[in-house]
Amino acid sequence: MATVTFSPPFRFSPISSFPSKFRTRTRFIIPPLSSLTPRAALSDPFVLEIAQTLEDSVSTPSPSSLPPPPLQKLRDTSSESILSMSWPTRKDEPFRFIDTSFIKQSRIHPIPIPSPSSDLAGISSDTQFPSLVIVDGHIVPSASQLSGFPDGVYVGSISGISSEAIMEKVLQLVSDFHDGDLFWSLNGIGAPDVTVIFVPAGCQVEKPLHLRFYSREGGEIGSNYMPLSSPRVLVLVEKGGEIGIIEEYSGGDADKCYWANSVIQLALEEEAKIHHSYIQAQTASAAHIKWTFVRQESSSNYELVEISAGGKLSRHNLHVQQVGPDTITELSAFHLSVSDQTQDLHSRLVLDHPRGYSRQLHKSIVAHSSGQAVFDGNIKVNRYAQQTDAGQLTKNLLLEPRATVNVKPNLQIIADDVKCSHGAAISDLEEDQIFYFQARGIDLETTRKALVFAFGSEVVERLPYNSLKKKVQSHVKALLETTSGGAP
Amino acid sequence: MSLLHLPPPSPSRLTSLRNSFSVITLNSLRVSSQRCRFNQSRLTLTPTASLTVDSHSPTTSSGRGSTEEGDSPKVLLEVRDLTAVIAESKAQILKGVNLVIREGEIHAIMGKNGSGKSTFSKVLVGHPDYEVTGGSAIFKGENLLDMDPEERSLFGLFMSFQSPIEIPGVSNMDFLNMAYNARMRKLGRKELGPIEFYEVISRKLDVVNMKIDFLNRNVNEGFSGGERKRNEILQLAVLGADLSVLDEIDSGLDVDALQDVAKAVNGLLTPKNSVLMITHYQRLLDYIRPNYIHIMDDGRIVKTGDISIAKVLEKEGYKAISSA
Repeated sequence: MATVTFSPPFRFSPISSFPSKFRTRTRFIIPPLSSLTPRAALSDPFVLEIAQTLEDSVSTPSPSSLPPPPLQKLRDTSSESILSMSWPTRKDEPFRFIDTSFIKQSRIHPIPIPSPSSDLAGISSDTQFPSLVIVDGHIVPSASQLSGFPDGVYVGSISGISSEAIMEKVLQLVSDFHDGDLFWSLNGIGAPDVTVIFVPAGCQVEKPLHLRFYSREGGEIGSNYMPLSSPRVLVLVEKGGEIGIIEEYSGGDADKCYWANSVIQLALEEEAKIHHSYIQAQTASAAHIKWTFVRQESSSNYELVEISAGGKLSRHNLHVQQVGPDTITELSAFHLSVSDQTQDLHSRLVLDHPRGYSRQLHKSIVAHSSGQAVFDGNIKVNRYAQQTDAGQLTKNLLLEPRATVNVKPNLQIIADDVKCSHGAAISDLEEDQIFYFQARGIDLETTRKALVFAFGSEVVERLPYNSLKKKVQSHVKALLETTSGGAP
Repeated sequence: MSLLHLPPPSPSRLTSLRNSFSVITLNSLRVSSQRCRFNQSRLTLTPTASLTVDSHSPTTSSGRGSTEEGDSPKVLLEVRDLTAVIAESKAQILKGVNLVIREGEIHAIMGKNGSGKSTFSKVLVGHPDYEVTGGSAIFKGENLLDMDPEERSLFGLFMSFQSPIEIPGVSNMDFLNMAYNARMRKLGRKELGPIEFYEVISRKLDVVNMKIDFLNRNVNEGFSGGERKRNEILQLAVLGADLSVLDEIDSGLDVDALQDVAKAVNGLLTPKNSVLMITHYQRLLDYIRPNYIHIMDDGRIVKTGDISIAKVLEKEGYKAISSA
């Protein structure tokens, strides 16, 4: 299953540095074919159209309410990069197994700021943690509960940052990543705000922060109308700081169609520690595309537990960049496809420094004949990353005929003193395990249900909070009940 | 042959007899096993009587199996000419096994590696790796071979696995609860929720000398050899069985663990239920005293006797028995 090749699908033009704080904004003009400039020759009219719509949605009416410099910089660099990008097709390697055409065929409509009087009743408040509610990409302070953080911790809109030092760091980080794709850039153009979470040096935040992303706007199925939200979050943990982040996505009406195009950036300074729980429970007709970009300085510790079970199309792009030695990275993901849906994880871990330790576990269950799971996990161990210890494993359970999984765990190793392993398994349930249940008088249906559920538990159990674990377990259980996956 | 029809011995005679196994008795035993092991006439005998006859040296430490003179306990399991192959390769493993187990008896099957002992126990519980090609197995008057594995379990047949498999993601507690409720359903009794079941199970933990956190761990995941065996016996304690087949319950155990497991098994015995042990070593038989020992070789039971067979085995190996 393994390959050791990797060819980036997109070539990005190097992003020029921006000497001044402000730059004239790139306007998107869809040119007639005859007047294409050499650069725009690569442009995709459809992409430019979306970009234009997004840009209009965030444009400010007067110069007095200009966005903060980092947000402006983000929009500029994103606009710049998008000129050379086109909408992905199945000919592009990273999109070989997923079909994004249903987004392309829709009328995409960025969702404006909800009026303060909007009804937020649909958003449940069943969390015992401090929480920040983000509806259709916009922070809703009235629904959020942010008390109890230690002094110096900042959680909120980028516009609310008063400290210049923090603003300066945010400015450096906000467009620090150059390996993004079209969706990364579209988010950069369309993000109405950047939610900033700042943990100062040495500060260990006891309670996790629950980021609750909620998609309220939706188009009727078949109406061709697809509201788009572009939430963006930046987490910065200074030296020795520590925080838990719960990133949870859900939607309103089950039969509504929407597109969430989300980005979260996490920067860990020396010895910083983040435990990141990512729960994707969008509604069955949604498109959910998300980027997670992690930057790890020396001796930092990043742990991610992902549970993705929602959406018609769900794509998670995960990029972890090591920028110092002795880092610890633990990535686990559980994907569940119980209907005509695709769960896709494309991950990349780049190790450039000595003694990095990483473990990755990906598990998926496909319980529908037209359901699909995709995993492309790349680990790059570069020349100076000696004594790296990297392990990667993907295990997949196909419960229906024609259910599909495409997995490509792959290691690229240049350093010569490393310990790396990877493996892939695709199977039905194990006969020996089934027999063990039967030998104790447990019927086949109960057995299969228990074993299918247990398959995902290995990842779900890694969630660090009991209340969250229970909530996810009952959600997964309910989804599995809807399938014939439990039946022989 | 006529020896087989001796009347059952009196209890006083039983206790006064010493073990005096000899090559001669072995010979006679072998002959009898070849010619009329478990045929119709055998069924009229009480087991202890036949033991006495075979070896002239009954071990009656347990005294089980013949509590009332002349009143033969009911037959629990009757296996006749059972043959089986490996489902995949069709290689024949069992070549005509005959065995009768009555209520309250303890039997042990010993034999070399590859003799078919473990296969026999797996075939009894319906393991899908094996296919029965001939013969019969009647358990409590019903055809065992017609039943699915879970029906066999619910009907009162329990096998402890030689190498119990890990079930990641399923806690021991949940697993036991599922199995317990399957049994309750079968008996038409009330199924128990996790909290009520916890009451039931926590009392049983002492039986195998295990701590309560044993229940929160996933089934057999990361268990030591000893913990796995204890877990099998815990399952037996919770579910109960008319016939327990213990497949190498002693392998990989230190003396303390072996004593714990043996004590637990002994504690579960009643005059009605029976045990069939599969083992390599006499050591186990010091703790759980069998009424009968069967020697298996090349897919058949080639010899049946009492505990003294095991002593010969321990000293001289299987050669002493097969060449005798």
